[in-house]
Amino acid sequence: MLKLIEELCAIDGVSGREEAVAEFIYNQISPVCERCEIDPLGNVLAMKKGRETPKKRLLLDAHMDEVGFIVTYITEEGRLKISPLGGIDARVVAGKSVFVGPKRVYGIIGTKAVHMMTPEERDKAPKIDELTIDIGAGSREEAENWVNPGDPVVFDSDFVLFGEGFVKAKALDDRAGCAVLMDILLKEELPYDTWFSFTVQEEIGGSGAKAAAYTVDPAVAISVETTTAADIAGVEEDKKVCFLGKGPVISFMDRGTIYDRELYRLALDTAEKYGVKAQPKLGVFGGNNAASLHKARGGVRPMAVSMPCRYLHTPSCVLKTEDILATRELLFRLIGELGAR
Amino acid sequence: MTNVKELLLGMSSAVGVSGREEGPVSLAEKELSALGQVRIDALGNLICTVKEPRAGQKHFMLDAHVDEIGMIVTYIEENGFLKVAACGGFDRKLLLASQVEVHTDQGVLPGVICSIPPHLQSGEKPNPKIDEIYIDIGCGREEAARRTAPGDIVTFHARNREMLGGYLTGKALDNRAGCVTVMRAAQLLSKEELDCGISVTLTSREEINAAGAAAASFAVNPTHAITVDVSFAYTPDAKKDQCGELGKGPMIGISPILSREMSDQLIRIAKEKEIPWQVEIMGGETGTNADAIVPVRGGIRTAVVSIPQAYMHTPVEKIDPRDVENAARLLAEYVKEEAARHA
Repeated sequence: MLKLIEELCAIDGVSGREEAVAEFIYNQISPVCERCEIDPLGNVLAMKKGRETPKKRLLLDAHMDEVGFIVTYITEEGRLKISPLGGIDARVVAGKSVFVGPKRVYGIIGTKAVHMMTPEERDKAPKIDELTIDIGAGSREEAENWVNPGDPVVFDSDFVLFGEGFVKAKALDDRAGCAVLMDILLKEELPYDTWFSFTVQEEIGGSGAKAAAYTVDPAVAISVETTTAADIAGVEEDKKVCFLGKGPVISFMDRGTIYDRELYRLALDTAEKYGVKAQPKLGVFGGNNAASLHKARGGVRPMAVSMPCRYLHTPSCVLKTEDILATRELLFRLIGELGAR
Repeated sequence: MTNVKELLLGMSSAVGVSGREEGPVSLAEKELSALGQVRIDALGNLICTVKEPRAGQKHFMLDAHVDEIGMIVTYIEENGFLKVAACGGFDRKLLLASQVEVHTDQGVLPGVICSIPPHLQSGEKPNPKIDEIYIDIGCGREEAARRTAPGDIVTFHARNREMLGGYLTGKALDNRAGCVTVMRAAQLLSKEELDCGISVTLTSREEINAAGAAAASFAVNPTHAITVDVSFAYTPDAKKDQCGELGKGPMIGISPILSREMSDQLIRIAKEKEIPWQVEIMGGETGTNADAIVPVRGGIRTAVVSIPQAYMHTPVEKIDPRDVENAARLLAEYVKEEAARHA
């Protein structure tokens, strides 16, 4: 599983440019699926036959895109102006290194030296539209040999195992979700027919999930995600939202969705029944593809099962391995529980 | 001796935060011991005698500070997160979500810098101060205490790379670029028959208080010192009048505290030998080792030569290796001429 996550995180795929991720997933899962296709928006939609066909169709969704930037303009001095793809905290951008465009040109998001800043400038994080990328080009003409407006920009960040079972990488949001679904698809014999969607453009509004839910037409949809954990030093206990090491996080509400109350309880009960750790998401923050999935056609009952993740939307997302495995276990059990209803 | 680019990459990868300069010092020792006697003094300075001075001869000290900025672990929190203090002047907007390395007696621990997430903060979110950040090493208190301890050094994780246009980027190029300059200059001079003494010093603790440079220049007791550091290279968000330019050659410092005669000679020689050069004008103290070297013993004639650098004090410092090569040539030509003059 960790190897699969490492492979998935290494692929560049900001919102709108998920082709390489989709191809990787399609190639791996299509041999075990009854149906598998890449739809017009770039979503990978798959159905794996189970021992029975359930009364209510179940869709498990994970998004393929990662946060990053898009090149909007090349200055006369050969530097690149950028716009964020997804909600990136402006404070984590300056001083980071990136790769730009299909040629993976190395770049630096650099600003003038701290020594030359006023006290106000030292305090304030520059806005993303005030920053530029330096790729080493001295002029617009030189830069245009390597990059073009519209090119994607990804963070330069390694996959690292550290501490007591932790993983650090870019794009864990939501390649870890993709990996969990792939692992179930590839390794499990399923009790019921189950649909899987690996969707595009979650970070910029979820249009991939809208189309996927329309096509699959499920009765129940589970968004398999990563979600903000603030379980760090200096944060009051009631503000930590969720905790690494306490298992998958079940949402009752976030900024995009009020979750199905019965399914919320079912997720927690199923965890208890099978001795899998799980925790409620203690706070109404963030959002995910459920916001799109539950509004499809005549409405779909939504659930969210997420891995608690520190430093979401930065080049250094952190997950705990045991949470990834527990999330996989809970989702597999939920396929059985939901199918039986 | 290893070539300039490889030396820059190697020296910049070596870990040597102020007060703990052993890494780059031992790498430099291997290179410099081919050129002269090397000793490491009480403060961790490397002093290499390239040519022992005889009585009455001029004695040139070619100096560069070898330390880099970093952090030091001050406390392990109840939940295993580490608190740190800064060693050197940090740009606080680089801190969040950066991958770091904690250098312990048992080895290197990866970690991530964190602070309160944005959704839990309201209104303006200023860059965190060093005492507001924590380092997440993925361990609970007990395990953290087993693996690390207060006093351990922390650096940014950085991979040195070559960029388009031949530039190099990485951590600690402030001031390993200066170190490589004086090492290369010593190499250029080592084969020459010269009527002077030459010492190379790679000095400790510049980012804190320049104690290394003061002690080393006392011990070497040179007649002339040139310290090589990095200075600001222009980027579009900076002021042109405060910066040099990458690739336009070494910056020759002019300041009331420096020897104007040395600065003028450096400029003259650069012109004569057609070495690209720029000036860096400072109104007083230079913010380099020169400030510590000038008043040592009865006073030392001192010059500053700087390598232009963008993104100073970040893990992505950027230099042009051609500036290093040109600076080394300038130093070597200067020493050759000055040794011959009035000799």
